[in-house]
Amino acid sequence: MKTFLGMQRFLAGLTLATAAGFFALWVIEPAVHAAGSGQAAVAPAAPAHAATPAEAGGLLFQQNCTFCHGRDAMGGETGPDLTRSQLVLGDKDGSKISEVIRNGRIEKKMPPFAFSDQQLASLVAFIRERVTAAAAMNGKRRGVEVADLQTGNAESGKQYFDGAGGCSKCHSPTGDLAGIATRFQGLRLEERMLYPRDVKSKVTVTLPNGQTVAGTLAYLDEFTVGLRDANDTYRSWATANVKFKVDSPVEAHAEQFPKYTDADIHNLMAYLQTLR
Amino acid sequence: MKLHKHSWALAFAALALVIAARQPLSAQNLDNSEILKPKPDSWPLYHGDYSGKRHSSLTQITPKNVNKLSVAWAFQTNQSFEIKSSPILVDGVLYFTVPDQIWAVDARSGHRIWHFSQPTKKGLHIGHRGVAMLKGWLYFTTTDAHLISLNAKDGTVRWTKEIADVDKGYWTTMSPLIVGNHVIVGVSGDFDNLAGFLRSFDAETGATQWQWDSTPPVGTPNSTTGGMTWMTGTYDPELNLIYWGTGNPTPVLNGKTRPGDDLYTCSIVALNPDTGKLAWGFSISPHDTHDWDAVETPVLVDADFHGQPRKMLMQASRNGYFFVLDRTNGKSLLTTPYGPTNWALGVDKEGHPIPNPDKEPSPDGRLIAPDEGGLTNYRAPSFDPKTGLFIVDAHPSYSIYFAKPADGAYGWAGADYGLWGKGVIDAIDYQTGKIRWTHDLGGNGSGAGVLTTDSGLTITGDGSGNVLALDTSNGKTLWHAGTGAGMESSPTTYELDGRQYILTGNGSLLFAWALPQ
Repeated sequence: MKTFLGMQRFLAGLTLATAAGFFALWVIEPAVHAAGSGQAAVAPAAPAHAATPAEAGGLLFQQNCTFCHGRDAMGGETGPDLTRSQLVLGDKDGSKISEVIRNGRIEKKMPPFAFSDQQLASLVAFIRERVTAAAAMNGKRRGVEVADLQTGNAESGKQYFDGAGGCSKCHSPTGDLAGIATRFQGLRLEERMLYPRDVKSKVTVTLPNGQTVAGTLAYLDEFTVGLRDANDTYRSWATANVKFKVDSPVEAHAEQFPKYTDADIHNLMAYLQTLR
Repeated sequence: MKLHKHSWALAFAALALVIAARQPLSAQNLDNSEILKPKPDSWPLYHGDYSGKRHSSLTQITPKNVNKLSVAWAFQTNQSFEIKSSPILVDGVLYFTVPDQIWAVDARSGHRIWHFSQPTKKGLHIGHRGVAMLKGWLYFTTTDAHLISLNAKDGTVRWTKEIADVDKGYWTTMSPLIVGNHVIVGVSGDFDNLAGFLRSFDAETGATQWQWDSTPPVGTPNSTTGGMTWMTGTYDPELNLIYWGTGNPTPVLNGKTRPGDDLYTCSIVALNPDTGKLAWGFSISPHDTHDWDAVETPVLVDADFHGQPRKMLMQASRNGYFFVLDRTNGKSLLTTPYGPTNWALGVDKEGHPIPNPDKEPSPDGRLIAPDEGGLTNYRAPSFDPKTGLFIVDAHPSYSIYFAKPADGAYGWAGADYGLWGKGVIDAIDYQTGKIRWTHDLGGNGSGAGVLTTDSGLTITGDGSGNVLALDTSNGKTLWHAGTGAGMESSPTTYELDGRQYILTGNGSLLFAWALPQ
C-alpha cells in the first residue's frame, strides 16, 4: 500500500521535474546549437544593439578568433595575419572567407565554426575593415615580408643543397624545383622548403594471404590503416591484422631539422629564390 | 505482541539513525578535510587531490581486465565547445564546464541534474578547466574575468565578483584552488602588456583577501609584464605552501624592452595561501621569448632522490625541460630536456636553462624546437609512485620565430609559425630524466592528459580520438576505444557503489567507462 502511493508520488514528482527541466532548458540553453564534429565553437547570438555588421563581427572575432589571429586580425598565436592573406584579399563576395570559417583548416589546427550566414557576413565585414586599417598603417606591422628573408647567400645555399643538406638526393633545380620561386615567395616558400605539408605518403599493405595492396596513405592511427588504391577506392584494415610499410620521403625534411644552422636555412632560401 | 511492536519501532529508529549518520545531512557538501584526504568516491578539485599527481589508488580496473572496459554512460552537452575541464565529483554529482556553462550530472546514470548558462560577450572563449567547490558552493571563473559562486544544489548564483578588467585585455578560464577559506584564482591575457596575478577571495563573502603580482607594475622601466596564472596550482598542507606556475612575459616575442630574467614570468612560485607572500620563486625560462608558459602542473612528490628522502616538485615544462625541485626551498635537483630543444646554451649551476641570444626571434627568422605550443601544454601529466615514472603527453616539434623593430613592443610583437610536430606519451624516470618508454601517438600532433592508477594502468588518448589504456610499466596498449574527437582534457576516476568509473571528455561528449556489471 505504502509502496504504491510512494510510487505514484514519485512519478508525479518526476513528471514535474522533467517538465521543469525542459522549461529550464528552453529558457537557459544558448540560442545557437551547432551540429558537427565537436570542434566548432558555439556562436553566441550577435548583440541586439550593434550599429554595424563590422561591429557585430568584431565582437564575434574577439570571442573566438583573437587567440590565433590576434585582436587586430594581424596574426597571433599560431594564426596568420588575415590582413595579408591572399584568400582574404582576393575574396570578392566573402564566400571564400566564409567557407574557411565554416569548415576550418584542420591540418593547420583551425577548428570549424558553425556561424549563421548573418554572423559570417559580419565577420567578413570586420576582416575587410581590418584590411583597410592595416593598409593605412606605417611600420608597427607584425608579419614577415619577402624583404625580411634575404639575409642568405645563394652560392652557399647551392653548396648546402648539393652537399650537407642532402636535398639533391630527391630534388632537382631543373626538374621538380624549376620555377619554384615563381610559384611561391617569401614565408610560404620558406615554410614549404622546410616542411611541405600537403605531400601524401605511399603505403603498401600485405594481407595475411600474402597479397599486397599499394596506394596513397589516406588514414593512419595506431589501430587502422587506410589507403586509396590505384582506382581511387578507399580501403582500410585493422593494423593488428596486416603488415604495412609507409613510404614518406617528405620525412627527410623532418630529419633535417636538428641538423640545420639558421645560416643554412637563409642560404637555402637565397638559392631557391634564384629558381624562377 | 507489544514486545514485537516496540522491537520493530526500535529497530526502525536504529536503522534511521545509522542511515542518517552515514549520509551527511545536506548532500552536495564538501569540507576542507574531504579535499585534504579525498575518498575513493570523490574527485573534489581539478587535480583530484592537492598533490597534482593525478594518480588513483583504485584497482578494480586492472591491466588484465581493462580489455573489457566499455561505456557505462555518455553525456551529450549538445553544444560544440570542446570539453577542457576535469569534472569534479562530490556526493554522487559531477560538475564540469565549457566557457559560459556548467553542468551538474548524476555520476551513476549520466543524466543532467541542472545546467547553468550565462553567455558572455567579452573575453576569449578559448576553453574552461572546471569549477571548484567548498561546502555547498561552487566557484566558477567567467570568460569576462568574474568569479561567480553558485549553489551546488541547483546552480543559482550567490554572488559575482570582478577578478580583473576584461576591457584591459584580461580573461579567465581556470579552475580555482581552494585552501581553507581561500578561493585562489588566476588570470589570462597575452595580447596586452598586463601584469599577471593570483588573487584570494573569501569563500563565503567573495571579499578579496590578498593579491600576489607576478611582475612589477605595468609601466616600470626596463621591466616585464605578463606571468599569467591560467592553470590550477598545487598545495602542501604540511609546509602550508601553494605552488603555482606562471606564464610568459609580455611583450611576447620581443625581449629588448625587458632585459634580465623577467621574474616572475615563466616561473614556479611558492606562496603562503593565507597571506599571498612569496616563499620562493624559481625561473623555468629566464628571459623567455617563445611564449613558453610554465603553467603546467607543479606535481608534488615525497620520495627518495638519489638515496635521500625529499619533498619534491616536478614539472615537465612547455620549454622542453623536465625540472625536479626541492619544494621546501626551491632549489634545483634536476633539469634536463625530455625532447628536442635547440634554444639553450645549457643549464646553469642553479638548474636554470641558459637561453641562447642567437635563438631569440629575429627579422629573418630562427628555427626553434619546440614550437610555440611547446613540448607539452595544459593537459595534465601523471606521476606513478610504484614505477617512479612521470608520464606526460609530449609534442616534439619545430617552428620558426620572427620579430623585427617594426613589430613594436606591445602584446605579441612578432610572429611564429609551426612547421612540424608529432605526438608521444613519454614516461620519464624522475631521478635521472631518462625516458624509460615512449608511446607513439602518430602525426596528428597532440595527445591527451594522463591519469595513472595503482593497478598499473595509464589512461590517456591520441590525436585521432582514441582513448587509450596503457601498461604503466612499458607503455603498451591494453585497450582502446574510438570516440570521434581528441581528448582536450585530462582523465579522472572514482568508485561509486563498488564500481570504478574512468571519465574522459572527448569533443563535446563526456564518457564514463567501466567494466561490465
